[in-house]
Amino acid sequence: MMTFILTVEDLWKRYAQTDAVRGLTFEISKGEFFGLLGPNGAGKSTTIGLLSGLIEPTRGHIAISGFDLFSSPMKAKAKLGLVPQSFALYPTLCARDNLVFFGRIYGLKGKRLKERITRVLEIVQLTDRAHQTVATFSNGMKRRLNIAAGLLHEPEILVLDEPTVGIDPQSRNAILESIHSLNQSGVTVLYTTHYIEEAQRLCDRVAILDQGKIMALDTPTRLIQDLGRGMIEIEFNAGIDDRLLDQMKHIGAIRVADDQKRRIHIETDRTDQVSREVLELMKTRDGALKSLDISEPNLETVFIRLTGRNLRD
Amino acid sequence: MIYQIMAITLKELKVLWLDREALALLFAMPVFFILVMSFALEGVFEAGSKGHPIEILVIRPDGDPLVDQAIADLKRMEGLILIETYEGVPLTADRAEQLIGRGVYPLALFFPERYAEQVLINSKDPPKEKPIVYLISDPAMNLQLLATVKGAIQGAIERRVLLARIPQRLKEMFGTFEGMEGQLAEMLGDTNAGERARSGVDFVHAFPKGFSVKRRPTATEQNVPAYTIFGVFFIVLTLASSFLQEKKDGTFQRILAAPLSKTALLIGKLLPYYLVNLIQIVVMFCIGVVVFGIRLGHLPALIILSLALAAAANGLGLLVAALGKTEPQVNGLSVLLAITLSALGGMMVPTFIMPDLMKTLSLFTPHAWALAGYHDMIIRGLGAKKVLTEVAILLGFASLFFVIALWRFRFDE
Repeated sequence: MMTFILTVEDLWKRYAQTDAVRGLTFEISKGEFFGLLGPNGAGKSTTIGLLSGLIEPTRGHIAISGFDLFSSPMKAKAKLGLVPQSFALYPTLCARDNLVFFGRIYGLKGKRLKERITRVLEIVQLTDRAHQTVATFSNGMKRRLNIAAGLLHEPEILVLDEPTVGIDPQSRNAILESIHSLNQSGVTVLYTTHYIEEAQRLCDRVAILDQGKIMALDTPTRLIQDLGRGMIEIEFNAGIDDRLLDQMKHIGAIRVADDQKRRIHIETDRTDQVSREVLELMKTRDGALKSLDISEPNLETVFIRLTGRNLRD
Repeated sequence: MIYQIMAITLKELKVLWLDREALALLFAMPVFFILVMSFALEGVFEAGSKGHPIEILVIRPDGDPLVDQAIADLKRMEGLILIETYEGVPLTADRAEQLIGRGVYPLALFFPERYAEQVLINSKDPPKEKPIVYLISDPAMNLQLLATVKGAIQGAIERRVLLARIPQRLKEMFGTFEGMEGQLAEMLGDTNAGERARSGVDFVHAFPKGFSVKRRPTATEQNVPAYTIFGVFFIVLTLASSFLQEKKDGTFQRILAAPLSKTALLIGKLLPYYLVNLIQIVVMFCIGVVVFGIRLGHLPALIILSLALAAAANGLGLLVAALGKTEPQVNGLSVLLAITLSALGGMMVPTFIMPDLMKTLSLFTPHAWALAGYHDMIIRGLGAKKVLTEVAILLGFASLFFVIALWRFRFDE
């Protein structure tokens, strides 16, 4: 029988006249690496706020390890480890003192607290920096300590809100490795990101979120297989005329990406052939073409297909 | 829950301790004010001037011509207002002492029954039974101001006594001299007249009944509590900024995601600032005792009043934390409240020399009640029971601040 660590049912959050989260329903199984993929403003952080009990929903149900978050908040919260998008650390305290404090508010004490601090510092490779003030840390080190703080009480589900924002590629890679190892060791992970490569690389299943709503939910492979199409992005030096636009429409399904008609997207399963046809056509328009990018089907093209927008828009 | 509260408190104390500059400011500021203001501004206040007259309650026998003349003279003096009725009823000695004791008025002047008669009977040297005029003052009244006002009142009264007695003494010595009284009156109409004939009336200065003050208050005894209160309320800025910083850094978010009640979080956050306030009060009063030699009065009263004062200051801090959404808002609001409420509450200028409207407004500040309580203990020598009203009002302020703060506080911002 499938054990769900997190169950979300018809979750809504309304702010004034706007629904930030619109009827989310999903489950996360034990040991699963679940991704919430969406652009900025899609409702990812609001969803994390709701799941960790920071924000009260307008309606809906959340259960963590079988405990209802609203009727048994203390029990439910004890099962969840939050790694917020901000560093969420005390910069004037050293790494160990930060962990001592966060451990204590989860009820850890004495030998157990010491053991857990030692262990999480090992996981994020900060043992030798334990007594260093957090203010002197690089952003990458702060991100790692942030994760360590979320792991202290051995949560059944670790919720990470964009944990790789604002750090260098090397640190980012180290963090992704750590999270992957954690998941391999049995920790269930809920991961929000707007980086497609992270979602594709790490997640067992991905929910694509846009305007507070789940647009699609499946494994990355199936999403790309079912919904992904190749994408040709063409940029012109000046806005193209209607005649050229009509000619483009004969080649494939096009979408004008900006008001000045300087960029168009063509979705196709035949990227090689279509790109050749475009280049042929552009020969008659000397100097009009600025660039042509070909993307094979991926989660970005899935998102574009579902929403008509880029993830980074 | 206790363990979590202690965890938050310890963390907060550690964070505070590491920001020593901010912590030092909390202590340095009131110390600076106590030292500088006490030494430099003593006697600067303009109380007793035309613009800031002193109100004096007068209790007098009816139909005494000598009292009438003395009062008429005093009324003509610039900077004094004589009040003979309160709420439409002629003042009695008890009522006047009550009003002084409560700090409503700073001074009262008591003329005895048969005043004129006693003055005239005792015109022979040496007088046998002198009439006694009492000047009752608020023990918290500025010493220099009291000396000035007392001298002026005494001079005016004794001049009238002299004028009243001289014709009778001349008659006794030489028989009747027609028209002599008027000339003598004119001749002796200078301000030194009282000095030349001090024997006609005894002038006694006292504090209201029930005050065990054996000595007069010093400027420091008034300034130390005033600037301590001023400093205590500066915790508002530190406390509110700390909440804002936690929200900004995201640590608040992480704490709230833990299995911890909001009550435990707030208690844990407030407790260290409450402790800092109490330490502030201890340090400030120690400076008062060691440097200026003030007497603290009844210790239990001092303790309960200080506990209530720190609660009100912390409540206001939480209220600012709830209302201020940005750093400039929190900074601006904290400084505005700290300075305005201190000035209004009589920390910088005694409330009794303020206009009526300001006096009334001062009652809406916790500062004024705290200062009244400290003055009751330190200067007026009252015990714990006598300051329960001030303690209750301070706790009322604290509750009001906490209730509004909790209503307005947004944990999820």
